Amino acid sequence: MNGFPPGTHLLLVIATPLVGGIVAWVLGARGRHAVRQSAAVTAIFTLAGAGWLIVRSLQSPEAASGEPYAVIEVPWLVDGIFDVRLSLGLDGLSLWLFGLSALLSLTAVLVSWEAIKERTVGFYVLLLVLEAAMLGVFAARDVILFYVFFEFTLVPLFFLIGIWGHEERRKAAVKFFLYTLAGSVLAFLGLLTIVLWHASHAGTVTFDIDTLTAGMAAHPLPMNAEGGWLQMVVFLALFAGFAVKVPIVPFHTWLPLAHVEAPTGGSVDLAGVLLKIGIYGFLRFSLPMLPDATAVAAPWLFGLGVVGILYGALVALVQTDLKRLIAYSSVSHMGYCVMGLFALEAVSVEGATLQLINHGLSSAGLFALVGMIYERFHTRSIPNLGGIAARAPWLTVFFMLFTFSSIGLPGLNGFVGEFMVLAGSFQRAWSGVSTAYGPAYLTMSVAAVVGVVLGAWYMLWAVERVFFGGSREPPKSASQHSHGAGRPDDHGHDADAPPDDACDLKWYETLALVPLVVFVFWIGVVPATFLEPSATAVRKSFRASAEAFDLRMHMDVSEHRTLNPSTPHARNTKASVVHLP
Amino acid sequence: MQQLSPSVLLVLVPALPLVGAVLTMLLGRSLRSRAHLPAVVGIAAAAGVSLVLLAATAAQVGNSSDAHPEPVRPVEMITTLWQWATVEDAYTPPSNSEALIPGIVLPRDTSGVRAFSIPVALRLDPLTATMLSIITCVGLLVAIYSIGYMHGDPGYARFFALFALFVFSMSMLVAASNFLIVYVFWEAVGACSYLLIGFWFRRPEAARAAKKAFLVNRVGDFGLAIAVFLLWMTYGTLDFHDTLSLDGTILPGILGQTRLADAGGIVGGAVGAAICLLLLLAACGKSAQLPLHVWLPDAMEGPTPASALIHAATMVTAGIYLITRSAPLFMACPGALAMVSIVGATTALVAALIAVVQNDLKRVLAYSTISQLGYMFASLGTGTMLGFTAAIFHLVTHAFFKALLFLGAGSVMHSMGGVIDMRRFGGLWRVMPMTAATFLAGACALAGVAPFAGFFSKDEILTSLHSKAFPSVHGNHGPESPAAETAHLHLTSWMHDGRLALDASSTYGLDAIDRPEIWQILFWMSLVTAGLTAFYTFRAVFMTFTGPTRVPEEAGHHAHESPAVMTLPLVILAVLSAVAGWWLFSTHWLSHFLSATPSLTAPSVARTVVPHLFHIDLAIQGTLAAAIGIAVAAIGHLGRRSDSPQMERFLGPLGSLFANKFFFDQIYTGLIVRPLEALALLAAIIDRSVIDRLVDWIATIPLGVGAIVRQLQSGLMQRYALAGVMGVLMIVLALAWQLRG
Repeated sequence: MNGFPPGTHLLLVIATPLVGGIVAWVLGARGRHAVRQSAAVTAIFTLAGAGWLIVRSLQSPEAASGEPYAVIEVPWLVDGIFDVRLSLGLDGLSLWLFGLSALLSLTAVLVSWEAIKERTVGFYVLLLVLEAAMLGVFAARDVILFYVFFEFTLVPLFFLIGIWGHEERRKAAVKFFLYTLAGSVLAFLGLLTIVLWHASHAGTVTFDIDTLTAGMAAHPLPMNAEGGWLQMVVFLALFAGFAVKVPIVPFHTWLPLAHVEAPTGGSVDLAGVLLKIGIYGFLRFSLPMLPDATAVAAPWLFGLGVVGILYGALVALVQTDLKRLIAYSSVSHMGYCVMGLFALEAVSVEGATLQLINHGLSSAGLFALVGMIYERFHTRSIPNLGGIAARAPWLTVFFMLFTFSSIGLPGLNGFVGEFMVLAGSFQRAWSGVSTAYGPAYLTMSVAAVVGVVLGAWYMLWAVERVFFGGSREPPKSASQHSHGAGRPDDHGHDADAPPDDACDLKWYETLALVPLVVFVFWIGVVPATFLEPSATAVRKSFRASAEAFDLRMHMDVSEHRTLNPSTPHARNTKASVVHLP
Repeated sequence: MQQLSPSVLLVLVPALPLVGAVLTMLLGRSLRSRAHLPAVVGIAAAAGVSLVLLAATAAQVGNSSDAHPEPVRPVEMITTLWQWATVEDAYTPPSNSEALIPGIVLPRDTSGVRAFSIPVALRLDPLTATMLSIITCVGLLVAIYSIGYMHGDPGYARFFALFALFVFSMSMLVAASNFLIVYVFWEAVGACSYLLIGFWFRRPEAARAAKKAFLVNRVGDFGLAIAVFLLWMTYGTLDFHDTLSLDGTILPGILGQTRLADAGGIVGGAVGAAICLLLLLAACGKSAQLPLHVWLPDAMEGPTPASALIHAATMVTAGIYLITRSAPLFMACPGALAMVSIVGATTALVAALIAVVQNDLKRVLAYSTISQLGYMFASLGTGTMLGFTAAIFHLVTHAFFKALLFLGAGSVMHSMGGVIDMRRFGGLWRVMPMTAATFLAGACALAGVAPFAGFFSKDEILTSLHSKAFPSVHGNHGPESPAAETAHLHLTSWMHDGRLALDASSTYGLDAIDRPEIWQILFWMSLVTAGLTAFYTFRAVFMTFTGPTRVPEEAGHHAHESPAVMTLPLVILAVLSAVAGWWLFSTHWLSHFLSATPSLTAPSVARTVVPHLFHIDLAIQGTLAAAIGIAVAAIGHLGRRSDSPQMERFLGPLGSLFANKFFFDQIYTGLIVRPLEALALLAAIIDRSVIDRLVDWIATIPLGVGAIVRQLQSGLMQRYALAGVMGVLMIVLALAWQLRG
């Protein structure tokens, strides 16, 4: 089977969910069970295909040399000045995100097993379309496909939230859609500008990302007064699209609402994968293509990342809705990614890319578990819950695990990314910025470490209230309606309630969580497995920006020196003047 | 059979308890009341292996002999298991790197580019071997005790799984040879502690105490994290040991022999001091020192065996381990070193004062643990070989007698139906003679009664403080503080471009606190603490075991001696508490053995070695303090019943200060928790009513989608979604068309 062309393999993996969606649709008449079974089988097949592709890719010579793997190109418009191809492929940047999408899609199907009872066909079809779109967005190697898949992730989720969501689903769906669409339209205009600028220099219109990156290096967008600061304008346009997606504070307010209202399966995909597209976009487009603008914006975005960490954590601290709390924790955790990315240090950028996967696993797990709690007790309100540990020990074990992963307990995955991001940030603060920025960078890095303490605070507070203590839950009426927990004599109020098998995890719930746990441990114990394959691609993506940033910092230093030749700093640092460019 | 190599044995020590933990977790349900088996067997095997390793290491160090005073050779062995993470070319030192750290003439990689490389490496040296033996052996005794103590608990299997997991984590912590891996297990033991404090999670106090312990520890971890970052920036590695690079050059580890052999290898000055103070903060968190001690008394909500092992004998000593391990770093910063002693002696005194007015037997022991750990810190801070070895000596004896006391308290609690308030029982020696006798042995050791173990280790600590306070008496010549010589490296301009506006060669007056007057105060504080220790210990003994027999009604008719599975560990620990001190002291075995630890062979430490002398006057002072303490306790509590309220009234306003634990909890709530909560509330309000509205407004108005929103709200969402996608596609096509034409 090794002769099986990897490009076809990739195409098949992306197409499987679409085929599965059609199958599910056809089976719709046979009832809910057939539909969800076919969806689960599809997701398992896709995951197996994706996993196999990843293994093949790791063994391929392309991976060793940092080239994209499984490239498949379809000429679309190739004549004269046009060189438009639709092209797919995987490289170090997208490899793990691709796998994560396949993994979390299975989780999303399984957590919806009992939760979705109405219009099941539509739900699973949309979930599978969403999976195809997520796989596609990471596999796209040209701007057109990227954008099409990007938009196609929005539509299914919009309906998932709008139709199967909770009370305020309409409002949440519209808000989610408007925010991300507004952002993505701007981002698209930015990308078009890049394409046109490249065309005006190279003479061919191409949408291929690699060609565009090379073109931008040869003929960068102007970043000065004569050029109208075009590079900055394009950067801001892309920023609008990606920052909403991440989300970077203050563009985050759609997120808590969307999460709280989304069905569990939607939340899993949203938190686990869709937020990652923002950071992925920065890594794929902004950093390699717009290095000068990135260099100017980096300190601000580094700061916004830190603000996000602290702000998200603080707001999470006072939430009473468990799902909203985890949504704000996402804001906080994505802050680490933003910070690590714009520290522009090898350690931190690699840490940030790993943090994407880590946050995907832990937040997906937490959202899935909150969904399970909601199914049992019909509330997500922290004050109304309590003592779940006594009744559902395994559910508690899993929740604790993902909590520990989320608060960065070493040995689990969350720690690795966080630690590397912070190590890189300190490195940047220590010796990578000019005097004017040094103290600010150091302060921000220390503040980000404070975020680690706050993160433990709100998560453990929630765990204490929801899982420990006497069984205050569930409110009687809810208990009687919930599946399995509906005991008329209400054991729940007894402080010594025995573990209740009916209340604990079902087989499909365990199946949804166990694969995530495997990776939580794997990444925590041997992160090298996941860091190495992406190292080359990550390095390539941020190198130009890091160089531009270093140059800017050096110019700052020399300016500073000529302006204030008598400052003590200048006296101490004579030696380095020689090395300035 | 092929002989097992030391490196395999070293890996087995943490691995066996880990296997035990996993098996207990998986098989817990089917094993039922035998669920302890995998854990206990795993820990027992690990204990055996540890003792073999201890013997093997000791054989390598060679015999102690005052006749051959030549310096001890460092003994260490490294086993690398796997590469945790590597980032190539992670850091290019600044371009003027030649001038970076003038003291270092070590073979550095010429390019100056460093890889961020973290190997999971284990080490074996005298310090690690000692710690491993204590952890696994005391762990085994406590585990056996727990078979009886935890019998019938619904979480029986969970307890043993967590217990074995803790032994694994703690073994890894002391065996790791890399600061990052130390950090990993530093937090892992904290997580085990969290789960064991909250073991009876139905009790809200237990859940709250667990959270508090984790959070306060996180503050300490914050210090450790930043210290690790600074170490990485300063040394370009986080390994303790030297490593060989591919081309055969030696990459010196932070505490490797290459760097230690070089006088200027360790960075001092502001950066060095910052690293040391951050390490001290971390140690304060884990070892419950001022101002981060507040979690330990509350941690008594956990099962008593967990308190005995984790919150008395082992985990809380991680801070002492860390500072001993980092001794060369501290030796380069006399100010930071003196801070260790100041924190330690202050904590010792404050905790002892609080212990005086406690009525809960376990809390008396908890504050006494804080106080004794303070002693160890005070000893470490002296920065002499005697100080370091005395701290570890006290760590060892303390592990024996404090585990004994906690298990004794557990035995009392077990028999009294869970009541632990000393005012509610008395005269228990008639009910449980075995517990009473062993508890008395532990109390004598804690109070420092000769010839029990605590007497000797405490005497060494007092001696080390005395030698700093009155150097002339001890024949210390030359510089007051030998460390001071290495302190001032010529670090001007090593921070490239002067980008951090620090004068790196100065510690901003921190070093000025290293003065004899300060040490004299610390010495007297420690002596007073010794008296207080004897007082509160014997107050507890008298209140619990003497007087007319009183048993609370919760005990029912079951007030009796504990089963043999619980008393046997007590007896073994009592014997150790009685004889270990004399044996280790008279042979100087431990101090000689420890001095071969690489960190302690650094010239800065090694040159502080003084001949072993028994200072009879100091021994008399210590014994006198203990005797006064015991006498006062006897006067106050023997014969007539005396309750704490009387004690408080007797002390007046001071009594209420002590009873309220110096108001630390209230101060933290008022100064940190409440303001943060207010800030969080403010942030949430801003989030909802300012940012959300503002962004909505900005997003909607310029795009002119108000009309569409109205349409959407009339239920035609699909149309807009479709329109969005179609529109975008049309733009693409139109553009392509236009360019073509």
